[in-house]
Amino acid sequence: MESLSDSDIMEKVRDGQVEKLAILFERHHVKVFNFFLRLTGSHSLSEDLVQNVFIRILKYRSTYQARGKFVVWMFRIARNVHVDHIRKNNEAFHLDDQYEEPESGEESPVQALEQKQDITLLQKALSQLPLKKREALILSRFQDMKYREIAELLGCKEGTIKANIHRAVKQLGEIYFELQGGVSS
Amino acid sequence: MNCQNIREKFTGYLTGEISKKEKERIQTHVRQCKDCREELESLTEIWTKLGVLKEKQPSPQLRTRFYSMLEDYKQSETKKAKKEKIHLLSWLKNLWPRRPAFQFALSLGILVLGLVIGNLWTVIPRQNAITTALVDEVRGMRQALAVSLIDQESASERLQGINMSYSMADPDEELLDKLLSTLKSDPSVSVRLAAVDALYLFHNHPKVKQGLIDSLSQQSSPMIQAALIDLMVSIRERRAVDALKSLLDSEDVNPEIKDRAEQGIQRLSF
Repeated sequence: MESLSDSDIMEKVRDGQVEKLAILFERHHVKVFNFFLRLTGSHSLSEDLVQNVFIRILKYRSTYQARGKFVVWMFRIARNVHVDHIRKNNEAFHLDDQYEEPESGEESPVQALEQKQDITLLQKALSQLPLKKREALILSRFQDMKYREIAELLGCKEGTIKANIHRAVKQLGEIYFELQGGVSS
Repeated sequence: MNCQNIREKFTGYLTGEISKKEKERIQTHVRQCKDCREELESLTEIWTKLGVLKEKQPSPQLRTRFYSMLEDYKQSETKKAKKEKIHLLSWLKNLWPRRPAFQFALSLGILVLGLVIGNLWTVIPRQNAITTALVDEVRGMRQALAVSLIDQESASERLQGINMSYSMADPDEELLDKLLSTLKSDPSVSVRLAAVDALYLFHNHPKVKQGLIDSLSQQSSPMIQAALIDLMVSIRERRAVDALKSLLDSEDVNPEIKDRAEQGIQRLSF
C-alpha cells in the first residue's frame, strides 16, 4: 500500500474508497499545516484550514484527474481554502493569534529569546507581504516546489513566479529590517 | 553579462534551480560588482533567516478531527446509497394501485400476459414438429414422383426420374426396387447405365448389393457389364468374384469385357 503513489490513492478515493484518504492525510497534513502556519502565523487557524482542505478534497473528489501531481492539486485547494477564509473574515492577516515559539531545547536563554524575537518579527513581516508573493515564497522556500509546479498551482507563467519570489524576498527583507527599527544587522 | 541578467538568476541561486555553470557566473560577477553583491547578500540573509520558521507539528486534535470527519462522510455516503435503494422500492410500491378494483384489473392483466407468454412458449416446439412433418412429406412426394417418372414410356422422363433419386439421402424400398428392375429390364442402355450410377450411391443397402451382383450375369450390353465390373471393384465386393468368373466362362461375352473381368477378379482377390 505504501508503494502506491499519491495519485493512485487519490484515484481510489475518487472511485469510492474514501477511507483511503487517511493515507493521504498521514502523508501530507503536516506539510499543509505548516503552509498555513507560515501563511497566517496562527496555529489554531491553520488546523481549522487543514481540516477544511481535507473536507474539500472529499467534496470535490470526483473532479480529480490524475494528469497533474496530487500535491499541486492539494495545494491549489489549500490556497483556495485560505483565500475563502480571508474573504469571509475580511481581514488580510492575523495578528491576534501570534506564531508560537518553538520549544527550545539546549539553547541558552539569551539565544532562545533572540530566536523568539526573530520568529515573531519574520512572521509579522511575512504577514505584511502581498498574498501572491507570500504564497509563492512559502511554496518555494518550504514546500520544495519547483517554479513549474508553483506556476501551475497559482496559474501563471514560470518567469512571473521567478520574478515574484525575487521581489518577495527583497520586500520581506525591507519590512523585516523596518520592523527591527530600521537598524541593519 | 550585465547586472540585469545576473539579478534575474538570483531566485534560482536561492532555490537551487540553477546550473553549476550559471552559479559560477553569478559568483564571478558579484566578486567584481558591489551593488549586485549587496543585493545577493541581503537576499541570502533573509532567505536563510526564514529557516527559523521551522516545521511544527499540529496538535493531536487535528488527527482526531480528521478521522471523525472521514467517518461521518462514509456514513452519509452509505445512507445516500441506502436511500437510493429505498427510493427504488417505493417507486415499485407506487406502481401498485390503491383501489381494489384496479388491483383486481392489474392482477388479471398480469395473468393474461402470463398466459400469452406461456402460449407463445409452447407454440415454438409445435412449429418445429410441423416443419419436420413437412420435410418428410416433401421427401415422400419426391420419391413418389421419381418412381412414377421411371414408369413412364419416354426414356428421357425415366432418366429424369433416376436423376431425381441421385439427390435422395434415404430412398425408400419402392424406389430401390424400381431402380433394380430398371437395371434388369429397361430397354434403353443409357437409362440402365444411369440406374447403375444411382444404385452405386445406395450400394450399402444389402438388397442393392445383391441385386447388382445378380444383374452382372443377366446383362448383355458390354457397356453395362463394364460399368458393373468397375462398380464391384470400387466397392471391393468379393462376393462378385463368382459372377465375374461366370462371365469369363460364357461364350457370348465380348473379349474386352472378359479382360476387364479378369483384371477385376485379380484386384478383388488381393
